[in-house]
Amino acid sequence: MTVPSSTGTSRHSPEPQGSRHKRRMTRKSRRLWLVLACLGCFAVATGLVLNAFSSSIVFFMAPSQVLKAPPASDRVIRLGGMVVAGSLRRSLEGQTPINQFEVTDGQAAIDVRYEGILPDLFREGQSVVALGTYRGGSAFIASEVLAKHDETYMPKEVAAALQRSGKWDPRFGKPPSSESLNSMARGATGGSNGR
Amino acid sequence: MIHIAYTHWPYIAASYGCALLATLWLGIGLALRLHRATTRLALLERPDARRKPTV
Amino acid sequence: MTKATHQPLSGRPAQGAFLHRFANPGRFLRLSRWLFPALCAFSGVFLAIGLVWALLFSPADWQQGDAVRIMYLHVPMAILASAGYATLAVCGVLSLVWKHPLADLAAVEIGPVGAVVTALCLLTGAFWGKPMWGAWWVWDARLTSVLVLFFLYLGHIALIQAFDDPQRGYRAAAVLAIAGVIDLPIIKFSVTWWNTLHQPDSITLTHAPTMPSSMLLPLSLCMIGFATGFAALVTGRLKAAIIETRAQQMLTRRARPLSESA
Repeated sequence: MTVPSSTGTSRHSPEPQGSRHKRRMTRKSRRLWLVLACLGCFAVATGLVLNAFSSSIVFFMAPSQVLKAPPASDRVIRLGGMVVAGSLRRSLEGQTPINQFEVTDGQAAIDVRYEGILPDLFREGQSVVALGTYRGGSAFIASEVLAKHDETYMPKEVAAALQRSGKWDPRFGKPPSSESLNSMARGATGGSNGR
Repeated sequence: MIHIAYTHWPYIAASYGCALLATLWLGIGLALRLHRATTRLALLERPDARRKPTV
Repeated sequence: MTKATHQPLSGRPAQGAFLHRFANPGRFLRLSRWLFPALCAFSGVFLAIGLVWALLFSPADWQQGDAVRIMYLHVPMAILASAGYATLAVCGVLSLVWKHPLADLAAVEIGPVGAVVTALCLLTGAFWGKPMWGAWWVWDARLTSVLVLFFLYLGHIALIQAFDDPQRGYRAAAVLAIAGVIDLPIIKFSVTWWNTLHQPDSITLTHAPTMPSSMLLPLSLCMIGFATGFAALVTGRLKAAIIETRAQQMLTRRARPLSESA
């Protein structure tokens, strides 16, 4: 298995016990510091590289970022944000369905026009990422739309109960936090829970 | 109350199927390897025990 | 898998070297005699309950429908992929700095299991992403960094096999394992540092889980089941490797007097 290899740290060399013990300690701690130093340098280098390329690492730009630094009209970018409630307009051009909706990040909104069938999870109040080109002003032509879902999970029955009782409209943002879910669901079927 | 998945069930089946296959592959592979290794060692150790104890 | 080294120890009695070399492995074999069956049993029970609960009794999500059941596979696999690599890095440090005799053997056995787990994470992620996002794969920061982790595992396995002298392979693999640790914080924080399609983590140390207990419980059971399963596989593989090495050493020892007398 591990044979004493020719690294110089032979455990079996005939030396007085004291100096061999001290040399093994120093050599081992030196190796440890070497490993830590190399790891540290590597970490710094990686951090610098990631920082330099951070603009390419982002998967999408928010509407306010696009308006602040508008990209060239022939550059394909990704636009991400929430679909504004009430902004979805469906129409038909020949055989292809046309969808137009507004995407917002809370500060600015951009109109998106997409030809094709929207993904299953698409709905108003949901986040999307649209791939396409920015045509200036507030117009974005999308060639692909991906639905983005957030990290909140809620059982279907609980969501239905909350919507029925009027405590939450999914078109206007995230569902309430899970901590209050149990009490709200209980209150939704009975009386109100004063949230 | 049992929920039988009806939306997106092919994707669910594919995921659970892949996980099951991987577990079986690793598990059965390990069982075979352990069996082979222990019988080999037992075979080697048996004739040694009959001779004079060298180790 | 582990190529036995056939370098003779000049001037040393074979008996002493044999005992010294297997001092730690012997202890591990005695440990694994009860640890391995215990881990297998734990894993089996928790996975049986957890997966059946997840697949058949957990609620559907209000926006994802039943596809959320893939989460009960994907999340444990993702956590184990990172945890497994962290263990590889620890084995690398133990091997390079302390020259622990079992560290290299453990690294050899953890690598393939970790690679399979990472591949499962990516696969279940694709099966989950296609109906939810509308894409099998996107090059966002989280997915790309997990793919990098997969290649790190493959590189680790390849390095061990690549050298004639297994010690050099172990050392190169240990260096790769330690260097690749950089990827782990990138994976963890990719969803907070950059805009990604992948959603942020639902379970963190800083805020309450964004998941109700009806989903959190089966997820926890699956997590424990898969984690003990990972540990069981690695323990069993390590046990097999030690037994194989011991058998190989006995063969070599037996062959030597014959060759010397010839």
